[in-house]
Amino acid sequence: MDIVKWSRLKSPWIFHFNAGGCNGCDIEVLAALIPRYDIERFGMILRGSPRHADVMLLTGTVTRQIRDRLIRIYEQMPEPKFVMALGSCSLSGGVFQQCYNVAEGADKVIPVDVYVPGCPPRPQAIMDGAVKLLQKLQGRE
Amino acid sequence: MTDLKQRFNGKVTETLIQRPRRVFITITSDALTEIMSYVTQKGYRHVSTITGLDLGQNLGVIYHLVEANVVLSLRTVVPKSDPKLSTIVNMIPGAELYEREIHDMFGVVFQGHPDLSPLILPEKWPSGLYPLRKEWKVEAIKAELERTQG
Amino acid sequence: MPVGPQHPALKEPENITLTLDGEQIIDAKIRLGYVHRGGEKALENRTYVQNLYLVERVCGICAMAHQLCYANNVEALLSIEAPSRAKYIRTIVAELERVHSHLLWVGVAGHEIGFDTLFMYTWQDREVALDLMERITGNRVLHATNAIGGVRRDITNDMIPLIKKGLKYLGERIEYYRKLALAERTIAKRAVGVGILKTQDALALCAVGPTARASNVKRDVREYDPYSAYDEIPFDVVTSDGCDVAARIFVRIDELEQCAQILEYAVDHLPEGPIKIRAPRSVPQGENVSIVEAPRGEDIHYCKSNGSDRPERYKIRAPTLANWASMRKMLIGGSMADVPIVLAAIDPCMSCTDRVAFLDSKSGKSWSWSYEQLKKYVQKRYGE
Repeated sequence: MDIVKWSRLKSPWIFHFNAGGCNGCDIEVLAALIPRYDIERFGMILRGSPRHADVMLLTGTVTRQIRDRLIRIYEQMPEPKFVMALGSCSLSGGVFQQCYNVAEGADKVIPVDVYVPGCPPRPQAIMDGAVKLLQKLQGRE
Repeated sequence: MTDLKQRFNGKVTETLIQRPRRVFITITSDALTEIMSYVTQKGYRHVSTITGLDLGQNLGVIYHLVEANVVLSLRTVVPKSDPKLSTIVNMIPGAELYEREIHDMFGVVFQGHPDLSPLILPEKWPSGLYPLRKEWKVEAIKAELERTQG
Repeated sequence: MPVGPQHPALKEPENITLTLDGEQIIDAKIRLGYVHRGGEKALENRTYVQNLYLVERVCGICAMAHQLCYANNVEALLSIEAPSRAKYIRTIVAELERVHSHLLWVGVAGHEIGFDTLFMYTWQDREVALDLMERITGNRVLHATNAIGGVRRDITNDMIPLIKKGLKYLGERIEYYRKLALAERTIAKRAVGVGILKTQDALALCAVGPTARASNVKRDVREYDPYSAYDEIPFDVVTSDGCDVAARIFVRIDELEQCAQILEYAVDHLPEGPIKIRAPRSVPQGENVSIVEAPRGEDIHYCKSNGSDRPERYKIRAPTLANWASMRKMLIGGSMADVPIVLAAIDPCMSCTDRVAFLDSKSGKSWSWSYEQLKKYVQKRYGE
């Protein structure tokens, strides 16, 4: 089935979590919502709670402080669940590598399914990552 | 500035006009309260921030006051072994969070401060670990965090 | 009064702990631990050139401001000055950043008071500013325009008509937002009289930026310590004596108008000449303080150099930190339901996952809500 059609049927719920970043990625995520890019036309819906979410959108450096909460929130998500890591910081620590309070990559803490590079990734890149994730979701079905 | 020097002769150890609108003055730590009181009365009531410095044996604390179009940086020095300074919060309430930050990062104790609980360091941070002190290198900090928190 | 979901196992430190008497907030305690990345230590371990990129990422919204403050700092220590054309280009990008940031803020504030269309409109228009920044610098966000000694990229002649077209459009939209803000009743209902910060408190607590100016504190770095091309470009410092969230909205809208004026002047008066001068890698021993007016207020950097190619100490105080003490003042005496808009009024960087802890002073019950949960409560409260 066409991925967008499938996605609109399934309406995967996305939960956006900022693990301590500079907010550069976060504003590009919000920008993806506006009509110019309109990520929601792919059927994905941005929600505020992890408890019913299918996908976690992770931005920012994973600081020591936030590590436990990140794990707890990941555990709150029901199966099947997927994680999309956005931006250099969540991929590898970005410019904050070798800082004492930063984990070098979110995948050191939780499993990651899709990596979207960029600093920050543009809305188009975020949507590209979203589509790849949808394909993964569909594949799992 | 010359006025300040005359009034507090002996307590002002160094003055420098570094470039237009930038004045750096060093004072002895015991004179902090009275000199701060003097400059606030002269109109310097906006503390932009307070910088901590590791000077080896000592810690430097610089109060950056901005008024009219002058940035007045008032510096004082305390020994690392016993870093105590009076708080200026009673004169400039806005200094509260800046003093907390210096306490977190350098370990300076501001006597009379209403609440020196950690501001920016995470919970469960090992006590005695002042990250911006030069003796704490990044690898050492990481190792200590691993050791105490896993 | 209903108590929110308890999280006994979730013993996590919160940014804010509010003590309540009924629905009224009687005390607020602040703690900021989540975004501590150890940046200042990192700055000491990297060269001055590398730090250009680290400094930007202190905050993605005010990135240009931080980088400009940094470049000015290092240039002062090197006793060099960026060429005139570079100063104008810096001013142009800095003002475009202010435009994007203020529009972003107006949209987020609108969203907080239930005015979602405002979010869509402002963010759509914001794209125009982002497109212009991308055309000039190569990126929408985190532009890295500054080099030590000038700017990295030039504004070429073919860009000028595009910039002027964009500015004209933005000018019209800004006028539209002002009319909208004045007419829209939700703003009157949810923002007037909310989050009060009296002038004397703003002064005593050292508030900065639009937050301070909306409490009638006439303080704008571009005026009292001009940098880049601000000493040559005429503009007004916008203040209001409203002292509430509504005043903060109007100050930002009026500042947007000033941005449009400054941008137009800068583009029309762009001087010829080089965009960069050579800067030595090592910086002689010295200290300097550099300040700029970031979109959210006074941004101050201190640098101590020791003759090497790395800073001995680099200190950054971003504008938002300067306003936390004021924010606490605004919250106290207000109602729980006003918390999201008051928080949004100084810092839109709070994400949905930030938590607010509450302590009921009468019953001793304490609980913690996520920002999202708090907003749901607010919606119920205001009957939306």
